[in-house]
Amino acid sequence: MKKPIRNLAVVAGAASAAFALTMSPASAVASTVWTVSPSPASITAVNSGNIVLSVNGIAMTCTKSNGAGTGQSTTGNPATVGNITSIAFGASGAPCTSVLGPVTTVATTPWTIVAQDYTAATGVTKGYVGNVDAKVTVGACVFRVTGKASGTYTNSTGALAVNSLAGELTVVSSTGCGSAVPVGAKPTFKGTYLFKAGTAIPTIVGSNP
Amino acid sequence: MRGPGPTPRSSRARVRGATIAAFVALAPLLPAAAVAVGTLKVDAALPYVCTLPSGPQPATVRIAAAFPERVAPGEEIRPADVTTTVELPAAAVADLTALKAATVRAESRLAVGVAQNEQRAEATWSGTAQPVDVPADGPLVLTTTGDVPTLTTDAAGDLTLSAEGLALDLAPSAAEATPTVPASLSVSCVPGQAPENRTPFATIPVGAGTGEPGTPPASPSAPSAPPPSSAPSSLPSSSAGRAVPVRPGTADGRDHAPKGPRIGRQVDKGPKAADENTPGTPAARPAAPPCVTENPTSHSLSAYITGYSNVRKLNGANVIPVSCVLIEQGDPVFDPRPDGSFHLLTPSTGNLSYQGRKQTPPFKATFLTFGFAPATATMVLEQTGPLTVDSDVLLAFPDNLSDTYVRARLVLRVLDVRINGTRLDVGPSCRTEKSLTSPEPDPAKYPGDHLVLLGKGQLINGTDATGYLLTGGGPLTGEVTIPAFKGCGAGGENLDRLLTASISGPGNYIKQIQGQTCAVEVPTEGQCTEDLQPYVVPKPER
Repeated sequence: MKKPIRNLAVVAGAASAAFALTMSPASAVASTVWTVSPSPASITAVNSGNIVLSVNGIAMTCTKSNGAGTGQSTTGNPATVGNITSIAFGASGAPCTSVLGPVTTVATTPWTIVAQDYTAATGVTKGYVGNVDAKVTVGACVFRVTGKASGTYTNSTGALAVNSLAGELTVVSSTGCGSAVPVGAKPTFKGTYLFKAGTAIPTIVGSNP
Repeated sequence: MRGPGPTPRSSRARVRGATIAAFVALAPLLPAAAVAVGTLKVDAALPYVCTLPSGPQPATVRIAAAFPERVAPGEEIRPADVTTTVELPAAAVADLTALKAATVRAESRLAVGVAQNEQRAEATWSGTAQPVDVPADGPLVLTTTGDVPTLTTDAAGDLTLSAEGLALDLAPSAAEATPTVPASLSVSCVPGQAPENRTPFATIPVGAGTGEPGTPPASPSAPSAPPPSSAPSSLPSSSAGRAVPVRPGTADGRDHAPKGPRIGRQVDKGPKAADENTPGTPAARPAAPPCVTENPTSHSLSAYITGYSNVRKLNGANVIPVSCVLIEQGDPVFDPRPDGSFHLLTPSTGNLSYQGRKQTPPFKATFLTFGFAPATATMVLEQTGPLTVDSDVLLAFPDNLSDTYVRARLVLRVLDVRINGTRLDVGPSCRTEKSLTSPEPDPAKYPGDHLVLLGKGQLINGTDATGYLLTGGGPLTGEVTIPAFKGCGAGGENLDRLLTASISGPGNYIKQIQGQTCAVEVPTEGQCTEDLQPYVVPKPER
């Protein structure tokens, strides 16, 4: 299913911040051919800086997070240029934390890496991580988050910077969390991962032939 | 200053205390002479072989219990006054002294084979012992007591009870009341006699049949232990003591035979052995008392807590031993304040849990009273009212700052005092006259005497949360006033003033470390044991 990016932008535009971040440069023409190199690529991802999930002002910090996935050239817009086949939040001895206690996050994968807009001058692709689905446990509080999280990928650094917009992620079930994390709450997800395909940095290039 | 100076205690009184202590210690060893009408008293000494770090050692296991002399089919058999006494030889004591253990606390699990008319079932008799001093030489005698499961059978005929595998969990402590390294020693024991040579230790006639009156076939003069049996008895499983009715002949009790002995639940919320330290399995975590949540809910948490409590008057610090707290976590609620700040409140409730009672395990503290006389007191903290855990998180984006107040009504009960090695009989009800008290930041909302501990945690701008975290644990600190003692003394001697003068007073600093909680219904890897007890056993911190 392909939708013009302008429609997506209008949907996201319910929040003004989202509108500003997602709006393509006026002059850009939406890319429909996406070249991932190498392709197919077996990708590993390791966080750079802390990953922070926030819900209703309650912050959860992961100092360690890593994942693995695949990348492949494709066509269309938006276009799934990669999949995250596994992702871990926290590590043995370094769990994610909150003031309510350690946070355990179990992801249901695959998540998708979706490209929407490419700026050749900077080598930056805008898009989102889609199909996000994770169960988060803090003590007796367990909730499930689904949705997507906007982000950018920079070819020069291999950095996927995820900075989800309000409303992209939703709590779809919750027990033991009271009014802190009710169903319908809108968490945000923020953090940067560095991608590698072997020792190389994979690149994503969009074009519109 | 509360109370006058110490009451002089005569040396005669000290000797009297010591004499009583000696009598009490010997009492479990005296053979049962009298058999009350209608009651079958059993006192059997059985040869066992126990596997210690230094190798197999002969031991004597003495089982004492009282049963109904005869029961009707279907009538409950309720074993009473059950004690299991294990006499370990001097060589076993060497294993403990090698750990520099001054005292040792024991928990036992005895597998008891129940048989009737070719049908069999197995019960577990669990017991715990008060801490005893490790003798410099000679044997170590550990007498454990506890409530045991009831028995019922619908069939007529003799019901026999036989002693099988015995598991002992020993928790040695060094002289300064700190755990030794390793902190626990698990010992498994098997009957010394081959199965075909063993006789039941009790026989209870059921119904009006011609079964012979029950007699304890084994006597204290039983032969010394032969070499280990080549067919060791099964050790009791850690869950057998909680088994719902088990019928003999099958492992799961699903035998369809209409009649036969059944093991009921324990008579009371009796002691349970430490499941995690089952003998024969490597210790995956430090020794800790059982911490089982019965009937858990989705909000059930359990945790261990331990730490130091200063007694300012005595210039000393107690270690409050690893204690189990069972918590029901409240639902977090938002609390917008008039000043515009946003708070998240999580009100939880809990209880201390030790052998079915709301208290800490007993702990020993040694002090120099009045600067010269070494005194050792065995004490427990008993919970006498609600225990609440109130977490208040200030949501100051992007930071979270949390204050968690633990409030508990706890009296300090003194079980035993020894001054210069001589026992001072404090009687059975020696305790503080009211709860330990702390300065209360919100006395209007939380009136009355209670202990207050505060845990502070924070998460600053996307970094890791630090400090005390509600479910993650951490340090809880406070200051406590120890009230005056009452009910202390025996034989007409009032020791209230002595203890009050020695211990009671304000300004005692407490630092307790809570371990990671186990969310019983939603266990997370690394947080709960397989049988859903808290995995993390915290260590005291200065």
